[in-house]
Amino acid sequence: MAMPLPPGLAHSEVAFLAEMELVTVVPRQRLESIDLLGGATPPLRPPHRTDLPLWLALLLKKQRRANIVPPHWLHPSSLSEIIHHETKVNPKAFSAPPPTPVRADTHNPGHAHRQGSGGGGAQQQQQQQEQLLLSAPFRASCTADAPAGYLPYHWLEVAESLLAHAGDDVASALGASAGEVRGLLRDLVEVRAAKMRSSTADLEEFGGGLMSMRGVGAVELAESRGFVLGVVDGVRKVGASAEAVRREKEEEEGEEGGGEEGESDEEMGIF
Amino acid sequence: MDIDDILREVDPTFHSIPREKRDLQELTRAWIAERSAPELLPWPANGLFERINSNIKHQIEKVEEMTGDTDPKTNFALIVIQTELERYRYLVRSYLRARIAKIDRHTLHYLSTDDLRSRLSEMELAYATRHQALLHNHYLSSFLSSFPANLQNLNDAAAGISMIETPDLESAVFIRLLKDTFVEVRGVDADGAVNVKESDIAILRWSDAKPLVEAGSAELI
Repeated sequence: MAMPLPPGLAHSEVAFLAEMELVTVVPRQRLESIDLLGGATPPLRPPHRTDLPLWLALLLKKQRRANIVPPHWLHPSSLSEIIHHETKVNPKAFSAPPPTPVRADTHNPGHAHRQGSGGGGAQQQQQQQEQLLLSAPFRASCTADAPAGYLPYHWLEVAESLLAHAGDDVASALGASAGEVRGLLRDLVEVRAAKMRSSTADLEEFGGGLMSMRGVGAVELAESRGFVLGVVDGVRKVGASAEAVRREKEEEEGEEGGGEEGESDEEMGIF
Repeated sequence: MDIDDILREVDPTFHSIPREKRDLQELTRAWIAERSAPELLPWPANGLFERINSNIKHQIEKVEEMTGDTDPKTNFALIVIQTELERYRYLVRSYLRARIAKIDRHTLHYLSTDDLRSRLSEMELAYATRHQALLHNHYLSSFLSSFPANLQNLNDAAAGISMIETPDLESAVFIRLLKDTFVEVRGVDADGAVNVKESDIAILRWSDAKPLVEAGSAELI
């Protein structure tokens, strides 16, 4: 078969995607800029920090040519704050994703536009400069500049990779043992998995057409994708005939001028 | 040096993303979308894949040149280039395979109208027509010719039900919003209209998500 996997990204594909995230690296050796298909890498001049994709950073780390700087949201205090937020402050929803990076618009005081959208001022007409809005993993949400207190989309994969391959860097940079960070990560995974499971109970009442899951992470999505989409599709198929009847009724009422209010049909709610 | 580089150094308001990074983001987005959507999405316009193919070819030539060098400095650069090349090719291969799998499942459907045919690239169109012709001939020689003449059609649409299998356009998908938008959704018990914010992740039907994805206000994840 051309593609034996079911629709939707599998775990391995999500991990592949997460390796494209940018992380901050402190090089130990000089390295010239390499021309890659995804753009040229910035030249490495120790001890200046540079942002590189995670796969390259891990390669350098394995060869002991660089050290990785963990992002601030991985700090134990940041993780504990997020855990507290998830359990006490907002037990129903996931914690907020990192804010979109914006840059002030110098031609328009008081306004800002999103970083990563096409050019500024007069340069906009160049070679069909489209407004390309960047999203994970191209958002630089795992570099050392990333804000603490927000979990980016690929938080679990990046955190696990850093702990597995650069545990010493994490421990020295954050001033806490890798074990402590691991423990907090486990707690966070537990809390969010519990939320994911309980949100599937909301799926039973999924009649409204859109369910929002702001702040969910990539691995959590991949794990529950099969089940959640199966439930939603199942509910839709089971209710397909009732829905068709409801739409016909609404059309008829619309044609009649819509004088009377649509009565709620109790039969629809029973399955 | 490119005019882009010169301008970038001089003008502090010039924040364009380099072409390769944009291509990579578009390719990644197209790959995720193709893997998640229930139907075949249009082949990316604006010459994306022509650029990608030629870049890959150049990169392979560069690797072959550099392999002759035994200098340890270039050796490491070679490893990096090869790793990245493999990653890039994995993306391209996976994208093409996802598309071929969809075409294989619903070949007649995608060949039926001009609008759907335009979603395929030229090579995919050639593949689909030839593959379908091969299959048809195989069926004919195996068992179809022994059916009565009026039952030999593979795209019979008698009694209002078409024989051609179409993809389920109402399956649920996950999307991420790229802009604040107002979206109208259809549900089982009620239809609704919601204001969704940027960076929201939502589950909805593909038929409701399709206009958002095409307009660029949302992406599939």
